[in-house]
Amino acid sequence: MTMREECKEYFEKISEYLDGELDSETCEKIECHLRECPECLHCFESLKRTAEICRSLPREKIPEDVEQRLKDKLKGFLSKDAAKSFDL
Amino acid sequence: MNLVKTDSTDHQLIEQFRNGSPEAMEKIVERYEESIFNFGLRMCGQVQDAEDIMQETFLNALRSLHNFREETKLKNWLFRIAANACLRKRRKKKFELERELSLESLMPGAGSEAKFDIPSLSPDPDSELLRAELRDVINDAVSSLPPKYRMVFSLRDVEGFDTEETAQILGITSQAVKTRLHRARLFLRKKISEHYRGE
Ligand SMILES: [Zn+2]
Repeated sequence: MTMREECKEYFEKISEYLDGELDSETCEKIECHLRECPECLHCFESLKRTAEICRSLPREKIPEDVEQRLKDKLKGFLSKDAAKSFDL
Repeated sequence: MNLVKTDSTDHQLIEQFRNGSPEAMEKIVERYEESIFNFGLRMCGQVQDAEDIMQETFLNALRSLHNFREETKLKNWLFRIAANACLRKRRKKKFELERELSLESLMPGAGSEAKFDIPSLSPDPDSELLRAELRDVINDAVSSLPPKYRMVFSLRDVEGFDTEETAQILGITSQAVKTRLHRARLFLRKKISEHYRGE
């Protein structure tokens, strides 16, 4: 099964539509098409859900040793810097 | 002229740092280290690489914060440094080939069925296992994105920068951001759906 030409045109714009980056005229055209094309509706909705679940991924915590080494590095740098005095 | 709405806490911390307070830098690090670390992890895959990127980012920031004019938000500025650190690291390692994702290959019906099975997020605490599975599936899918698409996806969908900001951070056009983001999402949808269809 391949996409119809008309659907292809909308297919390219799904993300911009979801991100609210299209003008209202284009949005209306898309919404009108979605009402009569179940394939495109599924395509839009499944992409929307993809973006949503990806956005909701929890962040990893920084391992303690990694965090400690960063602090040490910065401290080392700051004390060197202080020795030179802030005269930039 | 574009007036940037700087975060007032950041602005104060930058001022304090310029006036000689090292604690201000510590606070800046505390505010952004987790997102920079996760960005590095997503872009490079290894904790060691993410650590290098985080250190390089904050050391560079420390060196040039005196000259930072706040023409952009502090977070954007830090991510620009981090993104450059990622690019340098990848160039050094040459471990991933950059490849293009064509729109045709991501169209429904191209090599797969036109239906996509994307699970929705259930707030049900009993589904902890399903959530863990979904997290692994997404992480795998993200790490298989070609780097330039992963970069845009990370900034836009994970960090929440808008198109214009992402373009500035990466030094590419807004159109390139939009194109890469769209293809990244299409790619992720395909990968996630393949997993849940048992393909
Ligand atoms: Zn259609």
